[in-house]
Amino acid sequence: MATTRRRFVQGSVAAATLMAAPAIGRASETPAAAKTLKAVMQGDLRSFDPIWTTANISSYHGAMIYDTLFGVDGNDKPQPQMVDSFGTSDDQLTWTFKLRDGLGFHDGTPVTAADCVASIRRWAVRDGAGQHMFLRVKDIGAKDDKTFAITFSEPYPLILDAFAKAGTPVLYIMRKKDAETDPMQQITEYVGSGPFIFNTRETKQGAFYVYDRNANYKPRPEPASGMAGGKIAKLDRVIWENVADDQTAIAALQNGEIDFYELPPIDLIDQLEADKNIHVEVLNKSGQIVWCRMNWLYPPFNNVKARQALLYLVNQNDVMKAAFGNPKYYRACASYFGCGTPMENDENTEWFKEAPNKPKAAQLFKEAGYDGRPVVILQPTNFAVFNTADQLLAQWLREINVNAELAASDWGGVVTRRANREPPEKGGWNIFVTSASGAAFGNPITLVGHQANGDKGWFGWPSDETHERLRDKWAKAQPQDRLAVAKEIQRNAWNFVPHVYMGLYLQPAAMRANVKGVIGMPELIPFWNVEKT
Amino acid sequence: MIAYVARRLASLIVVMALVGVCVFLLLHLAPGDPAAIIAGDNATPAQIAGIRTKLGLDEALPLQFLRWSGAVLSGDLGVSIFSNTPVTTLIGQRLEPTLSLALATLAFAVPVALVLGVLAAWRAGSSIDRASMIVAVTGFSAPAFVVGYLMIYVFAVTLKWFPVQGYTPIAENVADWARHLVLPALTLGLAYVALIARITRATMLEVLAEDYIRTAKAKGVATGPMLLKHALKNAGVPIITVIGIGVALLIGGVVITETVYNIPGIGRLVVDAISKRDYPIIQGVILVFSAVYVVINLVVDLSYTFIDPRIRY
Repeated sequence: MATTRRRFVQGSVAAATLMAAPAIGRASETPAAAKTLKAVMQGDLRSFDPIWTTANISSYHGAMIYDTLFGVDGNDKPQPQMVDSFGTSDDQLTWTFKLRDGLGFHDGTPVTAADCVASIRRWAVRDGAGQHMFLRVKDIGAKDDKTFAITFSEPYPLILDAFAKAGTPVLYIMRKKDAETDPMQQITEYVGSGPFIFNTRETKQGAFYVYDRNANYKPRPEPASGMAGGKIAKLDRVIWENVADDQTAIAALQNGEIDFYELPPIDLIDQLEADKNIHVEVLNKSGQIVWCRMNWLYPPFNNVKARQALLYLVNQNDVMKAAFGNPKYYRACASYFGCGTPMENDENTEWFKEAPNKPKAAQLFKEAGYDGRPVVILQPTNFAVFNTADQLLAQWLREINVNAELAASDWGGVVTRRANREPPEKGGWNIFVTSASGAAFGNPITLVGHQANGDKGWFGWPSDETHERLRDKWAKAQPQDRLAVAKEIQRNAWNFVPHVYMGLYLQPAAMRANVKGVIGMPELIPFWNVEKT
Repeated sequence: MIAYVARRLASLIVVMALVGVCVFLLLHLAPGDPAAIIAGDNATPAQIAGIRTKLGLDEALPLQFLRWSGAVLSGDLGVSIFSNTPVTTLIGQRLEPTLSLALATLAFAVPVALVLGVLAAWRAGSSIDRASMIVAVTGFSAPAFVVGYLMIYVFAVTLKWFPVQGYTPIAENVADWARHLVLPALTLGLAYVALIARITRATMLEVLAEDYIRTAKAKGVATGPMLLKHALKNAGVPIITVIGIGVALLIGGVVITETVYNIPGIGRLVVDAISKRDYPIIQGVILVFSAVYVVINLVVDLSYTFIDPRIRY
């Protein structure tokens, strides 16, 4: 059969129609642009299990699709969320929780107390606060479909703080069958009871992640505040675009291709602030603390004098200035509990007023018996803030005749090597720099870096019996008494120096000017309450 | 010919086996532990050890290699450590954007480069020659990310002719698919234009000095047929070879271009996997890339027989 021009045109139209058919089908399901928000978050969502991994982005995913028993409000106070009523027995040993009406998973099944118990058990295996709590748990179980109880071996007033905390891993409530998955393995179905439903059909892993409004969600009547209050989804759809390149994300925001950009580089904020279509805002007011961990197992930092020397050596403002430039977005912080947290205090911070004091730091290294051996600093060259901090620290150490050696690798190399307990010359290390949310430092139990329990603890393996006793005292204290105990902890901590702070920075987020209602809080970016006007 | 193809396909198996051993050893001997990365910043050493055991990373290296190579031989590239998704699925999902980008780049770069190279050789020493070589030198010298940012600034942010980033599958919207590929293909194609244009010019200069070209001119053959039929066809073998080698450049360039333009292709997949030490993905993608490279070389070798009938296998 000869191909005529008419046949060719007919064939082309038919082919184009066939190719467009899937899009036409999808178009009827796609919400209007005004009800769809496109966001570029801090990184790619590689794991959908917010208990299995501590990656913040997975916790954000958890906040979208799962609900929590309690949530911290804007004042960092635990408030009931899925829980309707709760109480404790007269001896303070048994806590009873009753779920509120109308809670249901996205698959249509109701949320039961058994789901909550299984979720708590799995979470407690992976979470520091959960582990701390379960050392004292004698019994946990469902009383009926909507009620469960936990019995402790001793009063445990921290229970609500543990349930409500926003730091990873958050206690998200999953279906019992999902929560019974081995905590060391990932869940395979992502069905929550939260304000958004994970649309796995339209999600393309590594490219974008789609969340649709859960029309059946019953929000609490209170106004939204932090992770507490009414979680009202005002958007029909939220799409997280995985844009790896900062410049591309900024151009896309300026062009209106995306609506929200969580972590724009601070050195490009001026450019965004100058654009009238873009609004820049610090959502996490307690910031991010850059801190330096020393290895307690080997000289020189097995000697308290060498650790104290670092307190006097580090100039936090210089580190922050080099890393971020604009003083609007950083500050120095002396409190062991971070700055802007309820436990912040100025106990035993005389060193802070003196620092930097290089002659004193040099004298302290001498008193520590420093013998000129190399001090190995793990340097992640692909992590700009830590890379800068490491280079400055190495330079300052060299200026006081400490033989600092930078061991360059990517961040993946650092997280592997920091677990190595061998001597520095055999693949171990002396110093590494990392960061954590300022809010996390405010709780001596939940931040694993606050432990000083030797080789059972976190990298660097600090050890101090007094510190551990005081942490325990803090955990048992009533809320109104905690600040006094925190001061005791800080007085002791800045004497034995478990770690050293290198500054606190405030990361602004950037969004199109028509995006309203983003809730500012540490650790999480909730998308309920957000709308496009 | 058939025997030659069979021999080359057999060598493909040997090459893939060697690549497999090298990739496995390099990855597992390089610093970086996926268990530590999975466990996160707050994990204790005991938790990391637990995850390592679950992933089978605490087993002896030869045992891990045997298990992996056995699975690969049965077509199973493994499962991503982080996303729990089969590597073949992930590669399959990312294939279309990368193939689209590669084909769009070739569709732009090869004709442009051939025209530039032929014109430069035909008018050697003229302003056309100098202009085309300026394009070539610029293409070689300018890194893809710089060209990419400039293109985005001019054509997307300022003129708003094209989108800044992203990818639309061809089945969803053909026009959008093409619009999203223009800037990435131009960015990636610039170096390719430079490479092919320079080799075309050099080869054409040699051919144009041959006696048979002078004879053709003396016979009164028009310039067009003389350049394309007599000269370019005889200059074809080295040009085709360079186009084949250029595919390797393309594979490298895809990684950067996909990152700059946020195209969810195989380049992005492997970069993300490397940063997280997601061994199965890295191993799988490198194996696939190696196979593609070997097959392209085979196709290039076979194409010689069509361009130059004197070549026989």
